[in-house]
Parts: sequence; C-alpha cells; structure tokens
Amino acid sequence: MEHEVLAAAASDVSLWSLFMQAGLVVKLVMIGLIGASVWTWAIVIDKYVSFGKAKRQFDQFEQVFWSGQSLEELYRTLSERQNNGLAAIFVAAMREWKKSFERGARSPIGLQMRIDRAMDVTMAREAETYEARLGSLATIGSAGPFIGLFGTVVGIMTSFQAIAGSKSTNLAVVAPGIAEALLATAIGLVAAIPAVIAYNKFTADAGKLSARMEGFADEFSAILSRQIDEKLQPRQAAQ
Amino acid sequence: MKGSLGTSLILHTLVLGAALVSLSAPASFEVADVEALPVDIIPVESITQMQQGDKKAPMSEKPSPKETKNQKVVEGAENAGENDLDLKTPPTPARKPTPTEAAAAPKPVERPMPTPTPEQNDVKDIVPEETAPKPTEMAALPQPKPEIAPTPPKPEPTPPPKPEPTPAPAEAKSEDIPLPDAVPLPAAKPKPEPPKEEAKPVEKPVEKPVEKKPETAKPTETAKAAEKPTDKKEGKKQETAKSSSSKASDFNADEIASLLNKQEASGGGAKRSSSPASTGSTKPSTGAKLSQSEMDALRGQIQKNWSVIAGIEGADGVLIRVTMKLDQTGEIVGEPEVEASGGSDNARRTLQASALRAVRRSAPFKNLPADKYDAWSEVVVNFDPSELL
Repeated sequence: MEHEVLAAAASDVSLWSLFMQAGLVVKLVMIGLIGASVWTWAIVIDKYVSFGKAKRQFDQFEQVFWSGQSLEELYRTLSERQNNGLAAIFVAAMREWKKSFERGARSPIGLQMRIDRAMDVTMAREAETYEARLGSLATIGSAGPFIGLFGTVVGIMTSFQAIAGSKSTNLAVVAPGIAEALLATAIGLVAAIPAVIAYNKFTADAGKLSARMEGFADEFSAILSRQIDEKLQPRQAAQ
Repeated sequence: MKGSLGTSLILHTLVLGAALVSLSAPASFEVADVEALPVDIIPVESITQMQQGDKKAPMSEKPSPKETKNQKVVEGAENAGENDLDLKTPPTPARKPTPTEAAAAPKPVERPMPTPTPEQNDVKDIVPEETAPKPTEMAALPQPKPEIAPTPPKPEPTPPPKPEPTPAPAEAKSEDIPLPDAVPLPAAKPKPEPPKEEAKPVEKPVEKPVEKKPETAKPTETAKAAEKPTDKKEGKKQETAKSSSSKASDFNADEIASLLNKQEASGGGAKRSSSPASTGSTKPSTGAKLSQSEMDALRGQIQKNWSVIAGIEGADGVLIRVTMKLDQTGEIVGEPEVEASGGSDNARRTLQASALRAVRRSAPFKNLPADKYDAWSEVVVNFDPSELL
C-alpha cells in the first residue's frame, strides 16, 4: 500500500513514462531499488513464516518433553527425521550421551562438558539460521534512501543540464525532469521503510527464540548431569 | 526462501502493475484561461492633471464640459462652448438680455406715438415745445415730412414753394438716399448739432413765417446731419483701411465684433462636447510637461560644462538648485538663480559659483521640444555635486 501511495505522490506524468524518460544511471538505481524491495519482502515473508513455524515447533516439543515421556523413546522418534530448534538441541545432547555410554565413559565431568558443547554448537547453528538475512534487511533499510537520493541528484543534474540547453525556464520544461528524478528517492524510501521495520521486528523475534533455546539447553543440561550422577555412581560403587 | 522470494516477486509485480494501470498521469492542475491583457504605459501627468470639464457637474469617470447643442466641429478649438468662434471669454449668461429687452422695447413705441398724431398739423404752437426733445426724435422726424406737403397750402400758398424748389430737389434726393443711413445713426451723435440748428433757423426766418421755422428747418438739418456722418464714415474707413493694412495678419472682424457685443451671450469657445458634463477644470489643459529623459538631457548639458573642483572641504551634502527662464531658442533670459544648501559655507559658495558658470556656458539649450515651451519656459534643475565628483 505504501508503495502505491508514495509512487503516486512522486509522479507527475504516468509512472511508466517517467521511468522510461529517466537517464541510464537513474534507471539502474530504480531497478536496483525495486530489486531491493523485492528481496526485502521475500525476507520478510520467509522470516515471518519460519519464525511462526519455529515458535509452533518449540511449543509442541516442550509439551512433549515435559509430558513425562521416556527420553529414550523421544530420542528414537526424533532422531529419524531432520530437527530444528529445541528438538535439534535435544537430539544433539542425547546423541553425545549415547555415544559416551556405549563406549563406557569414565569421567562424569568430561561427559557433562561434551554434552554442553554439543548443545552450544547446535544452538549457535540454529540461532544463525534465525538471524540469517536480517543483515541485508538492515543494509537495505539504511542504504535505500541514500541510493534513491543519489538517483535523484543525478536525475536533477541531468534535467538542469537539459534546461540549460533548452534555454527555457518554463515550469513545463523543468517539472518532468524533476518529477522523474524524485521517483528514484520515492522508490528508495518504499524499499527502505519496510526493511527497517522488519529488521527491528525480526531481530527481536530471533533474540526471543535464542533465549528460549538457551533456557531449554540449561534445563536439559541439568537433567542430564543428574542422570550422569545416578548412572555412574553404582558403577563406581561396584568397582 | 525460494518460495518467499517468489511470493515477494509476485506481490511486487501485482502492486506495480496495479499502480501502472490505475495511477496513470494525475489530473493536471486546472488553470483558468487568462487572456493576455494589453498594458499601456501612461505618464502620470495625464491622470493627475485636471482635465477639461465642468466645475459644478457631478464626478464621473471622464471629465467633460457641458454638452453642447451646436455640434459643428471647429478645428483647433480649445474652449468648450456653443460659439462658432473659439473665444477665451466665458459665455455671458442668457438671463441679462431679457430685462433689458423688456425695458427698451416700450420706449421707442411710446415716442413715435405722438408724432404720427395729427396734433402737429392742427396746432403749431406746440412745436416750440417739441424742440426740446428734438435730438431724441431725430429718427422719427423724417416721417411727418410727407404730411407737411399738404399742410402748407392752408396758411400761405405761395411762399413755401419758392424757397423749396431750390433746396427741395437736393433735399428730396438727399432724403431718399440718406433715409436708410439716418435710421441706424446713433442717438448720441446729433446732440452736438442743436446749436447749429439754432443758428440756422436765424437765417431762414427772413424768408419764412415764424410758425413754419421748425418744420422747414428740419429737412435741412437732416440733410446736413446726413452729410456729416458720411464724411465721418469715410474718415473711419480710411482709418480702418490704414489699420488693416498695418495689421493684416491678426485681424479677425468677427472676433472683435463678438467681443464688442455685450448684449447677447457671445462668449465661449467652439469646442464641442458630446458627452454629459462632469467634474473637471474649465481651463483647457495641454498636459505638457518635460519628460524625465528630456529633463535629464537638459541636466546633462549643464553637467557636461560643469567642472567640479575635487577636494573641496565640506562638499558633502551640498545641494544646488538652479532656476532659470528660457526663451524659445533655448537662451537664458535674465540672470539664472542658483541656490545652494547644506555643506560648509566655503564649499557652498564655490559650488554655487561653478554651477552658475556651467549654466551660462551651456547657454543655448538644445533638444528641448518646441511644442512644450510652456513647460520649459521656466526650468528648475536640482544637482547633487557629490555625484559629479
């Protein structure tokens, strides 16, 4: 909607003819900005969908995890498919646990440390996927207006050169060139404004998801350390 | 990501497509068609100067003198009025003649009345009484003469014919001819004659009876009176001929006649006005004034001849005002007046003297429009010498 309004405000003649009249540099700037706008909205849609999905998965997993179901069974069902988020952290921790016990781990501290590392690595990987492409949103949001302004300056420059050539200061001669130049700034703003808003929103969302993952990792680590203590002590007592 | 990129692309194409279709060129501003107005630059004088009109009439857009009935156009006429001649004198009001006519008309009617009555024929003793008012009755007297012819036979048949034949043919001829001349004669002229009349009757009584004296004497008087004026008229004609020969160019008999005529409203100009009267000056205005460029040209001529001595102390703020009278050729008439104000005494005196010299040196002023002589017959030029330094 913003797109329409701003574009309309900037145009004096029809949009298409304005675009076609523009010089090569201004045209490139406009095309680049339209591409940036497309990219911004693609990221926005992608992030919106993926964050919503991640949230739902988190809720679902926590529900299953705290339902009192055996961790062995849960691991068996989850390890067969590709996991994200909390499930991925759980699977990574359980895999490390299993490997250590099958080979007969000696030190409970070493096992605890390995499990924590595995969970941290998975968590970092997950957080990276959440924050991916948010950087480009920030770039578009901050650089978009400047790129548009550059197009406008170049457009006005060329139109003034044309006016100097025509030796007429009639407003009808001046107006189309300036309108065409201003279209570049309009497109820049059209791309930048949603990008800035989306960047702020998605960085906050990504932060929330990371915090949630950290919280789960800490809790699961606590549970596992208790388990380690319970299982290693009878072994040591038997020796 | 591919899916979302695809949807983003689709959304953009949709929005741009909608914008291109629906948002074509916005309605251009409606600019009312304003017709180009022709602009004339008019000097302010033509508006600020009083235009010819009527002082008492109500104000309207264009001043105009009172509407004239006479629409015969007289070329070069400047003064508004009904007259055929363009005179500067204002028209005398039409009221005055009416009382004079009423007073004058009855008098001539009353006086002739007694003369035609037969009293003169019957009673001749009354005649001496009539001699007193004679001078005034001169015009009326010729009329009774035909009546005299029948009357003489009654008292004396013979004597009257004798003296008459000799003067009669002359008198009869003179009477026939001078009669029209005698009528217009002014009443005042015969006045000095009464003494002559008294002298002549003294000669005639010898031939005629006393009773007839006045009657017979009268024709001779008229004859003489008729002769004398003709002499005078000839004299006048000679005089007018002399004057006309000397002043052949400027003389306009009609103009003089209309100026002399005090009886009828003969004043007033011959400029016609077709619009109703409206406020304005009764004097014709020419609106002539020296334009700025002409004034500058005059000033330039003076400045060219003005060698301002540089470095006079206190010359700042001295203003010089030259007032001079010019004749038609541009020469200065009399002494130009130079006033100076501001600055120090010394500087003022020096600059005043140099200004006077400059004005004298540039004396025959050229390039002044001859038709605006009224405007530059007396010129005031202001100078700021600091501009010339």
